Amino acid sequence: MPSTPITPSNEHIVDSTKQTANTDNEAKTEVLPHIQGKKIGLCLCPVCRKLNVTSNSHCRRCFSQLSSRNYASIQQSWALLVTATILLVVANIYPITLLTNRGVVTNDTIFSGISHLVKTGMFPIAIIVFTASILVPWLKIFGLATYLTAISFNLPISKRKLMVGFHIIEWIGRWSMLDLFVISLTVALVNMGQLLDAKPAPAATAFALVILLTQLAAKVLDTRLLWDRLENTNDTN
Amino acid sequence: MHEFDDHDSIILCQSCDLAVRKRALPSSARALCPRCHTALYDSPYCSINGMLALCVAALIIFIPANLLPVLEIHFLGSVRTTTVLQAAVTVWAEGYWVVGLAVMVAAVIAPGLLILSIMAQVVIVKLKLHNSFWQRTYTTLLKNHGLISQMTMLEIYVISFLVSAFQLSDFSDVYFGMGTFSFTMLFIIILFLQREYNLEHMWSYVDA
Repeated sequence: MPSTPITPSNEHIVDSTKQTANTDNEAKTEVLPHIQGKKIGLCLCPVCRKLNVTSNSHCRRCFSQLSSRNYASIQQSWALLVTATILLVVANIYPITLLTNRGVVTNDTIFSGISHLVKTGMFPIAIIVFTASILVPWLKIFGLATYLTAISFNLPISKRKLMVGFHIIEWIGRWSMLDLFVISLTVALVNMGQLLDAKPAPAATAFALVILLTQLAAKVLDTRLLWDRLENTNDTN
Repeated sequence: MHEFDDHDSIILCQSCDLAVRKRALPSSARALCPRCHTALYDSPYCSINGMLALCVAALIIFIPANLLPVLEIHFLGSVRTTTVLQAAVTVWAEGYWVVGLAVMVAAVIAPGLLILSIMAQVVIVKLKLHNSFWQRTYTTLLKNHGLISQMTMLEIYVISFLVSAFQLSDFSDVYFGMGTFSFTMLFIIILFLQREYNLEHMWSYVDA
């Protein structure tokens, strides 16, 4: 889909999410046409979001160190992402729980656990678990990889769509924790020796680290770097 | 410091660094960045007394939520129960301390810290504690608020009760305990607390 070039809009987009959507309430604001804060020597404090002049070294409100852009954040984010990808492969191959049922030991991987749910006919639960433990982690890794490639190699992908995707990834990433909570509850409940017993298996640690690393990769990244290219090149939005 | 007067009407987008002129918003509206659609600001307001009430309620329900059994299974005559805290400790004791730690932080430690942190901030604002120790504490709490609230994952834990109950119902009888009720209530109270809390409003007490 061709993306439209940015035109300096004179309108703020006002989102009345909290209550009573009111279209008359649209606040008209003057948007300075495409001026990045960096150009006019301003930056936001990375900790408290107070507006500061770039020439100051520390925030005037919370005294944290200021920086106009964090250029190292791309490398840090790539490093975390690559590590997370390797661990996610490990987490999918190795068993995540070890179940003993009347003396019979079965190793369950993430996938076999879900296919067991499907076989026993619990489709809604299977869909929830599939989303939380397979779809979300892979989506996050592919999404972040696309985002980072777009910055690193200046790909002509719509920046606005990338940004929307990034916000979705940031929000949905936490839901992978579901699997770990379920494992901890199951392991604590099912401990009846040879009769019925559940134990965690190596993939659980790998999966926990995947969640931690992908969340960090998204948090570390300085998204302003994506938008810097806008003035330099004849880019789409 | 004349230049700041000039700049106070401008706001920068935290995601794309676009400069936007700030202006008053109608209540319950939120300004989005015209270029990348990130939320810029809203009319910052939160009720200090309301938050204090929610904090007290959350602190009270926090104790049964973590100490009472959340799930109970009956299997061939033997009964097993577990609490949220115990579940985390069991995984840790099995040698998977990374998993145990993650569960404990997301379900017990971070929610507890969140309640205490908001409560301390509210008390400092309400009693107008102005000496440098309290002001330093206040700033530190505000700086760490984002991290703590990101690590609080009660809503996911509530869903995981359901998922575990369905999974276990395959081979045993599963019952919910009073802990499930308390934990769900804790989740609802913290949900309202986080809706009421406005970080920018809390920072404005430092500016004044």
